[in-house]
Amino acid sequence: MKRRNLGSYFLSLGLSILLALGVGAAIMAVTGYHPWEAYRALFQGATGCGELGDLPSLLTQRQFGNTVEYAMVLFLTGLACALGARAGIFNVGGEGQLYLGAIVSAYIGVVLAGLSPWVVIPAAALGAMAVGAFYAWIPGVLKVKCKVNEVITTIMLNSVAIFFCAYLSNGPWKTANPNRVSGTDPLEAVYRFPQLIRGSNLTSAIFASAVIALLVWYVMSRTTTGFEMKLTGHNPRFARFLGLNVDNIVIAAMSVSGAICGLVGMFQVYGVKGHYQDGISNEYYFDGLLVAMIMGYRPVGIIVMSFFFAFLKVGAAGMELNAGVPGELYRIIQSVVIFFLAAEGGVKALLARKKTKKEAANHG
Amino acid sequence: MGDILTAGLLRQMLRSATPVALAAMGGAMTEHAGVMNIGMDGMILIGAFAAVAVSAVTGSAWLGVLAAIAAGILVGMFFALFVVKFKSDEFIIGTALNIFAGGLTVFLLGAIFGVRGTLRTQAGLPAVEIPVLRDIPFVGEVLSGNSLFVYLTVLLAWGMWALVYRTPWGYHLRAAGEHPGALRTAGISPEGRQWQASILCGALCGLAGAQLALGNVSMFSEGMSNSRGYVAFACVIFGAANPGKAYLAALMFGFFDALGYRLQEYQISANLTSMIPYLITVAMMVYVVLRGERRRAAGRA
Repeated sequence: MKRRNLGSYFLSLGLSILLALGVGAAIMAVTGYHPWEAYRALFQGATGCGELGDLPSLLTQRQFGNTVEYAMVLFLTGLACALGARAGIFNVGGEGQLYLGAIVSAYIGVVLAGLSPWVVIPAAALGAMAVGAFYAWIPGVLKVKCKVNEVITTIMLNSVAIFFCAYLSNGPWKTANPNRVSGTDPLEAVYRFPQLIRGSNLTSAIFASAVIALLVWYVMSRTTTGFEMKLTGHNPRFARFLGLNVDNIVIAAMSVSGAICGLVGMFQVYGVKGHYQDGISNEYYFDGLLVAMIMGYRPVGIIVMSFFFAFLKVGAAGMELNAGVPGELYRIIQSVVIFFLAAEGGVKALLARKKTKKEAANHG
Repeated sequence: MGDILTAGLLRQMLRSATPVALAAMGGAMTEHAGVMNIGMDGMILIGAFAAVAVSAVTGSAWLGVLAAIAAGILVGMFFALFVVKFKSDEFIIGTALNIFAGGLTVFLLGAIFGVRGTLRTQAGLPAVEIPVLRDIPFVGEVLSGNSLFVYLTVLLAWGMWALVYRTPWGYHLRAAGEHPGALRTAGISPEGRQWQASILCGALCGLAGAQLALGNVSMFSEGMSNSRGYVAFACVIFGAANPGKAYLAALMFGFFDALGYRLQEYQISANLTSMIPYLITVAMMVYVVLRGERRRAAGRA
């Protein structure tokens, strides 16, 4: 039964994605672009291959490296969101946690300059995770102890964190280099993660991310802790009745979620940019959050689907460059997938209700 | 520090508060109807875009306002279709709507106007000078010469309050949220009220966007709603969905927003002062709960 449910879910997911791509094409056609050319440019933008025949060279393509790197960002942030959601708390504040993780890790790299990378990189990772966890812990405690709606507090704290980081990177932590308007000092080259594909964003951070993803999947799906989380999110009163410490589970899930987001920030600094700068994340967390929602917070689904949406996102940047179509089309397609999934579920439920009513009428 | 509280500060307070207040009154409607509306931010953004796009093309700010309201109504219907008809998760639809609005407005900005980031319009909403009042020192400086909607919003707050608490429609609206079963027994569809509330909320958020873009600055810029939809939601909670109290909560947000601007003149970093209104909003949310707990405790005693 469960398998069949999953099968029908994938069917409606596939259909929703196709329809969303269709909506994207329709919007482009209406606004005067050539959808086929645009989607070709998108494919090239994401893979670096102009023709299907070029695909064997995929693994050396800079664009493909960027796609895999963004998939990493998406599955980490998506899993972070799912961790909270499973336990019944929506972390919408990953963006702020990511920013703080990025700037704290960059600052640690600058302050500890000269020390061995074996010291600096773990210190930076721990710092990023600690600040991310702390920043998620605040709304977590407010939700559990005071019943304050976490969606609003996390969104507000996003703005607070982004402004605060901007203050630091334009003020006390600003680089001494007069040629740069803002941002921290660059990291020493030895601290930077090695690139796996030359010129791309893809670095060895992917290995650490794979381990984290595996861990999160394992904890969520294969351990008692994961089951307790699910129980807490599903029916907190019943979980409490069973003797679980519901409050602690929610706060812990939220803090781990924040720690992962902080680490994503560190990966951006040590992998991609080499220093902290304003706008280091362009709403990355919200992209991951949508992936998590689309996949119903299922860990494996999130990891797999992240690659598809990273393909769309990185491809959309290429599409903007080569076909002149604004890359924001990506966000439209991604959110429309959600609308189609919701509509499909809604229509099914509506039909089921009608059927029950009819049957009830027949019996009566 | 005594010279911080100037007429300019209070003027800025009204300007900042008005879009939030308009959206919050819409949010009060959906809240009463039992619909959690997280999507107001997207509704404001689409309203702001429609207002600037139409006023830039036609040269008329009033057509821009109409377009914003129309766009808001459409988005409100879209929202209701999912949340009321399909019974989808309000949080998921609201969040998706906000991200959709962010993507759509930037896409259209590039596709129609060929610009990235911002679009300016020559036609902003005119300032309304109030005779007699404008000649009174200080008071005239604060109250006269604002855009029409700054004044209309005060009247609207009163009107919405009367609508919710003094008319049969409002009575049924509140029943739709509190006792939908009872309302249905009385022969009135709760879903119908939820649809109407969503559409009204869309219209008000569209108007909020129009005021934000045409009343305050005469331009649209990427993501210009700046989480104001969420602030409006906080105002709804703070005011217990009473439109009048929600307006006062919005005024408080406006005050701290204006205070942030004012403090920049004292060599305090704009990045630090910009944090103030958001921190206040968090404090507002916490205060509501503590107040509720104190009341409950007093009730038990």
